[in-house]
Amino acid sequence: MEKRSSAELLNIEQNNSKNASSDSLNSDSKSSSLNSKMGQESESWDKASHSKSFSSSSTSTDNNIVSALEARKDNQVKNLSAGETGPPLLNGERVQGIAHEVTYVCPYSGPVRGILSITNYKLHFRSVDRETPYVVEVPLGVVSRIEKVGGASSKGENSYGIEVFCKDMRNLRFAHKQENHSRRDVFEKLQQYSFPLSHKLPLFAFEYSETFAENGWNVYEPIAELKRMGVNNDMWKISKINDTYSICDSYPAVWAVPAAATDEDLQASAAFRSRGRLPVLSWIHPESQATITRCAQPLVGVGGKRSREDERYVQLIMDANAQSHKLFIMDARPMPNAVANKAKGGGYESEDAYQNAELVFLDIHNIHVMRESLRKLKELCFPTIDEARWLSGIESTVWLKHIKYVLAGALRIVDKVENHKTSVLVHCSDGWDRTAQLTALAMLMLDPYYRTIKGFEVLIEKEWLSFGHKFQQRIGHGDEHHSDADRSPVFLQFMDCVWQISRQFPNAFEFNEHFLITILDHLYSCRFGTFLFSSERERVQEQVKHKTVSLWSYTNSQLSLYQNPLYWAAPNYQLVLMPIASMRYIKPWKSLYCRWNPSMRQQDPVYQRTRELLVLKEQLEKQLEEGRREQASRASRSMTSPAPPRIHSPVHS
Amino acid sequence: MESKSCNNFISYVELEEHEMQPLGSSRRNSLSENNIKLLPGESFVTKAQNVLMFSPVSDLNQGTSGILSVTNFKLTFVTTDETNGDDVARQQNHLYGYMDTCLTNIEDIYVTVGDKKRKLLPGNIVPSKVKGIFIICKNLRTWSFSFKFSPIGDGKNLLQALLHYAFPSKHDLLFGYDYQEAYYSSLDKAVRLFRDISDWHNELERTIRNEKFRKFWRLSTVNVDFKLCRSQLIDAAKRFQGNRPPIWSWSNARGAALVKMPELSPLVTNRIQENIMFENVRKSHPQKMPPVVLELNKGISVKLIAIAFSKFASLCSPENIRQFWLQDNNFYSLVENTKWLKYVSYCLQKAVEACEHLHLGLSVILQEGAGTDLCCIVSSLVQLLLDPYFRNINGFQSLLQKEWVAGGHPFCDRLGHICKRTSEKSPLLLLYLDCVWQLNQQFPAEFEFTETYLTTLWDAAHVSIFDTFIFNCEKERVAAATDPDRPLVLRSVWDWREQFNEQDILLFDNPLYNPHEADSKEKHVIKPLYNVANLELWSQCYFRWIPTLEIHNGGQNHIELYARLLRNDVNQLKMSINGNCCSPTDKSNSCSVQMNIDSFYPFSNRKSGNIVSTPIMNSSILATKSLLEAQSLITATD
Repeated sequence: MEKRSSAELLNIEQNNSKNASSDSLNSDSKSSSLNSKMGQESESWDKASHSKSFSSSSTSTDNNIVSALEARKDNQVKNLSAGETGPPLLNGERVQGIAHEVTYVCPYSGPVRGILSITNYKLHFRSVDRETPYVVEVPLGVVSRIEKVGGASSKGENSYGIEVFCKDMRNLRFAHKQENHSRRDVFEKLQQYSFPLSHKLPLFAFEYSETFAENGWNVYEPIAELKRMGVNNDMWKISKINDTYSICDSYPAVWAVPAAATDEDLQASAAFRSRGRLPVLSWIHPESQATITRCAQPLVGVGGKRSREDERYVQLIMDANAQSHKLFIMDARPMPNAVANKAKGGGYESEDAYQNAELVFLDIHNIHVMRESLRKLKELCFPTIDEARWLSGIESTVWLKHIKYVLAGALRIVDKVENHKTSVLVHCSDGWDRTAQLTALAMLMLDPYYRTIKGFEVLIEKEWLSFGHKFQQRIGHGDEHHSDADRSPVFLQFMDCVWQISRQFPNAFEFNEHFLITILDHLYSCRFGTFLFSSERERVQEQVKHKTVSLWSYTNSQLSLYQNPLYWAAPNYQLVLMPIASMRYIKPWKSLYCRWNPSMRQQDPVYQRTRELLVLKEQLEKQLEEGRREQASRASRSMTSPAPPRIHSPVHS
Repeated sequence: MESKSCNNFISYVELEEHEMQPLGSSRRNSLSENNIKLLPGESFVTKAQNVLMFSPVSDLNQGTSGILSVTNFKLTFVTTDETNGDDVARQQNHLYGYMDTCLTNIEDIYVTVGDKKRKLLPGNIVPSKVKGIFIICKNLRTWSFSFKFSPIGDGKNLLQALLHYAFPSKHDLLFGYDYQEAYYSSLDKAVRLFRDISDWHNELERTIRNEKFRKFWRLSTVNVDFKLCRSQLIDAAKRFQGNRPPIWSWSNARGAALVKMPELSPLVTNRIQENIMFENVRKSHPQKMPPVVLELNKGISVKLIAIAFSKFASLCSPENIRQFWLQDNNFYSLVENTKWLKYVSYCLQKAVEACEHLHLGLSVILQEGAGTDLCCIVSSLVQLLLDPYFRNINGFQSLLQKEWVAGGHPFCDRLGHICKRTSEKSPLLLLYLDCVWQLNQQFPAEFEFTETYLTTLWDAAHVSIFDTFIFNCEKERVAAATDPDRPLVLRSVWDWREQFNEQDILLFDNPLYNPHEADSKEKHVIKPLYNVANLELWSQCYFRWIPTLEIHNGGQNHIELYARLLRNDVNQLKMSINGNCCSPTDKSNSCSVQMNIDSFYPFSNRKSGNIVSTPIMNSSILATKSLLEAQSLITATD
């Protein structure tokens, strides 16, 4: 109860003593894909498998996922609960406001009466008048915009209240009693803690203090990753020229460049590239030495400026691959956009200036187009879908077409590197949005390492975080300017592409869909430091590694939740993935975009069934091993004891 | 390629078969002078030399040269190109090769003269200068041939013959009547054909355990000689479309029945007979509850389904790569426009509705036209949802026999075997198979068969050698089989060994299948999601002939492959633990499984790199049994 006194109580009323059970709209780890898979039956399924989990407690099965989750939840409820009616709390989380007699207007099951609590991390609603408590929990980082609905004199039931617009494709509507400004306090707390940066408050990640068995900040070691790819070698070297972020403030401190390039070359090239983002190594083919390098657009401008040094430097990149006398420059943009950039001092490489280079435009649109496309997709998917026009509706959002172009672009890179042993240089305008999508996807297709759980974390750390994808601006962490033109679902689009590939190659990934959705949930949640800020420089400056917890600490401490039972890591099996970028295969990611709609939830019995088979196999192996051991010990005993009487004659055996 | 097509993988079973039957596959085939393999009774008609065959959905620039021939059974392309077709692991049919098309499978023929392309209909005059032809098959495979380098007249000759033989005007012109091969049925007795009364009797007993309830239904032999001629039933029948009285399909444990019933004939204005039948169904109910009538004729019809499919088919059989990518640009709205998925959704929805009524203990009457089209789809789906017996292979085949074959679905008309102006062609069977595929996707552990089985079944519907799908009703079948002059040998399509070896039949077997105990009291009811947004496109069946869509070394079939290997490991472990010393590659029950497969395997038309294969147990019974036993390990407490 002491937590309560610090909170501001509105309409004190105690009529609820039931323990909350997690509901499907709960947005913590239990929500997302797990629940969406189990669908409406999740409750009964939970019960059924819960009893099962006692018999096979040491194995990695669905049962264990559930029991692990149950255990976690129990912990939270026991240790961290803020009194009987308050929400379960994380370490560092405090209740900031509670409103009673609030109605959550669920778009699917109708209005529910209950208690709404606001903490410095989340909003938490729990029903009071239902048999099994109905819980809605949303980390405030997910909130994009909050609006008051109706006034004190509005007519009609539930017309007065608050509407919360979320970054994860849903809106929540709460109705308050039309008296005493009952919504004012909650509204203010919501504003403050959803947009802490706009209210001079810290992001929750800096207050969160849980410890995990694994330290996720150790997952990515730039030098170790370069060494894994064989750098340093004859052709490529590690450069620390940027260790104070003086050459390029949005690049990491460590990168690899052609061994033949001098520091002067690097400086000169940086001077000719937008924001100093010169071409550096993303990936190197272990056999052919063909590379993927990334950069920003050259500063050509309307006058058609050239830089001999940059041209020479690009030539060095080509020369570092002895297998080919050609270099492909993949410009992610549509050609008209690249041309238009000349007016702003940017542009693209002319094939005259860059000898032996072939320029290809990949026709991927900019962040504004993508934002608009996702907005339409949200309109289509939430709250309900129009059954009769679902397919044409999907088409009209153009979201899948953008996915197709990103995938097709990455495929062209893979084709050049893998099938033609030719190096590829990738850029867009600034080289931190479309470029990151393309290089990361191409690397995912080319290198099975990035398809493991830890490898995928490394991929995100390297291609997205260290190379300065502007997460702060694209997501708008803790910022109230919801219509900021810098916001864009570029990373979400990348994750969608990963999901598309995993649908075409169901055995190729160590992680499951739940892993992808968990990452996306915490992209917004601000619980972990991983996706905060826009560059490595800023993160070092803000001491993110010391002051916050890494998302990978959380995920790597419960790996079994994210493992794909179909993962098949046989040698030489599915080394390089070449997905088909056709609309006939590209599908809406329903378990993400439509996950709040109960009628869209599908089970995933393939996973369940495969897990059962895996468990069975494991048990049989154990049984066989035990049998062998027993036999061996019996045999060794018989060495010392007289030979046992012969049961069969040799003739009959 | 033809001459060596019959055996590409090492199969112990195959070897054994050869040992037992030294004639091997040559038993069936003889080589004619034109290097074409002919079945007994098959005769060569004509050929065209130096024909170019383009690979499907390509840019139509490069082709393979060969001889294109027409027989009274198939269209066949023989190439001298040695590299084509070797060491490709794919389904092998004993009756026709990979480069053959059964004539009954041909849907449309387009001819190019100059720069113009037009559809050729039977009876049309074939132009003298044929530049090329484009053929679309009923199973959506496409063929594109050019006669650019052929001797003058070859193209025209071939096309005339093709037009004549591919669209026969009389039933006894189907190849099944000419096929001379002796038939020794190896059909599993568990597949019940519902041709004699005992099958019906057993089905009544199986579904209605309670004798008290059972007596409400009687088996009628009125129609034994297919001539309705007595009593009230007959009187009633006359008033329904197609002279068909309502018939019982299935009953649940509480005695609620599922009944298929035609609408009254349009000429009958008096609804008395319909009401008598409703009353009879009501009386059949243990509590005399009135039945629920589901009308299956609103917003859907045999004709609308045909239109939907023909639109949908054009999305699955683009003529060239340019058209393919054009379609890709707005594929989603194109699919929506066809309404195909809408109809799949409709059938599933009606089935779920019927299940809900039956669950409440109410009898359900499905009513539609003659009661032989959508009634067949919905009644079969209802039974698949409610009765796990029908989800195993033999049960599924028995269900098709009961509801479709014995139920009088006019296969000959609907599949378009005979070119007749009055017959209404419409792929009702495919619509049903698509619905079943959707169920299979949503409940992959509930079905004993794979999507490969369903796709193969659709292919088999166009092989006129089997009697199962070539007649409009039982009466026609009996007449053909007992024709004193030229009796048709009845070969059931369910006798899969007539078409495939053990290797290929193995792929019908779903490794994720988790059968429920046969005696379990509780019926495992499945409840599918049926909204269009929850449906998927059956890419194996619809896209398998489009090489652009083949995922190299990937695809959903890798799930099945992985599960097959996993289950194999489990079985081998079981055997080791039980002290069963026989080697896992024991001849009697082992096959090999291809590991590096592409997404359309076993229908791939692209060559895979290195095919790696691993031995695997074949006997599904053994596997299922041991799995069942082992299953208890999971739930058992230590």
